[in-house]
Amino acid sequence: MNCEEFELALPDVDDDPTIEQQSHLNSCSACAELVADLDAISQQAKLLGSSDEPSPRVWNFIEIALRQEGLIREQRSEPFLVPRRPPRRRLEWLIPVAAMLLLMLGIVQYKRTSGPVASRTSNAEMASTSQIADAAYIADDQQLLEVVSRRTPAMLASYKANLQDVNSYIRDAEESVKMDPNDEQARRDLMNAYEQRSMVYEMALDRSLQ
Amino acid sequence: MTDARKSQGKKLSELELIDRAKQGDAEAFESLYNLHKRRVYSLCLRMTANTAAAEDLTQEAFLQLFRKIGTFRGESAFSTWLHRMAVNVVLMQLRKKGLPVVPLDDTVETEDEIPKKELGGPDRNLAGSIDRLQLQRAVDDLPPGYRSIFVLHDVEGYEHNEIAEIVGCSVGNSKSQLHKARLKLRELLKTSRAEKARRP
Repeated sequence: MNCEEFELALPDVDDDPTIEQQSHLNSCSACAELVADLDAISQQAKLLGSSDEPSPRVWNFIEIALRQEGLIREQRSEPFLVPRRPPRRRLEWLIPVAAMLLLMLGIVQYKRTSGPVASRTSNAEMASTSQIADAAYIADDQQLLEVVSRRTPAMLASYKANLQDVNSYIRDAEESVKMDPNDEQARRDLMNAYEQRSMVYEMALDRSLQ
Repeated sequence: MTDARKSQGKKLSELELIDRAKQGDAEAFESLYNLHKRRVYSLCLRMTANTAAAEDLTQEAFLQLFRKIGTFRGESAFSTWLHRMAVNVVLMQLRKKGLPVVPLDDTVETEDEIPKKELGGPDRNLAGSIDRLQLQRAVDDLPPGYRSIFVLHDVEGYEHNEIAEIVGCSVGNSKSQLHKARLKLRELLKTSRAEKARRP
């Protein structure tokens, strides 16, 4: 058996070479090196699996979709998962107020950046509106994270990451609208981003009241 | 507790999660996602070599699974079901983009794709010196058809008969493409090592 014949047979050689193939391996250092290299590649490949993790936005989108499709339903009784606590009435007002504030801020921002008004709005005005929005977001986020850290501290890191992602999404969408205020898709993306932020708040406050 | 009983406990716990997810429990869905996200994402990333695409496909695979969770009867392992779904989602995406899932014929390969044979020539042994990161980069540089087969077999552990069924080729073709993928990786790794050695 020569090297070319050995190479042709190699795809079918698993762990059990024939006597002829083994004899060629024992006598040919080039083919022996080739087999050793291919084995090493195959072995090292096993370590490539399951080492990476998707960003938190993946779960965010999945959860939002599941809720929208009605696959996630609010549980009436949960004997095993989260122990029920009596509702803290002083925090109930946060849900609708936070959601309304966010939506109103979003609508104001959306209206300022849409239609013919956008082309007349100066960059300075838009920058200052954006700065006001950023400051408001930071304050709201801090307040929300304080509530989460008191009620469900285990979820704090997750909600921090979710808020970072969704705020980044809002900033990107705002940039796109700023660059082209008449871009319909960019405006839809921005509204979508505000809705997602509102949903993160709703979920965080809803859970922390359980 | 013995390993068998530990794994039995874990299996019961996953079945409970599946049951609760069927009833619409948000935390059950999230727990199932956290249990399997790494493996699904890794598979998508290896096969697409693109983090954004891998995240989108991970999302799609889990959504498809969760939409059908009501039909899961437990005949096979949940992870097998999920994994197979993820593979199908990735392959469908590759086909949509017109990328070859696996080369059907030796003759369709381009000059760049054909691994160069170095039988009998002076060569430096790779065994014992393959860096995981280098291998990852080399896999990302593989042509899509080779990459699919290599990831399914060597990374994910599918057998050739399973790969043949999933991608729609013969067992012989699967073996042949795997061999060529490994030869190509060997060539890429040696080139990368030679370039590194040349740098001051």
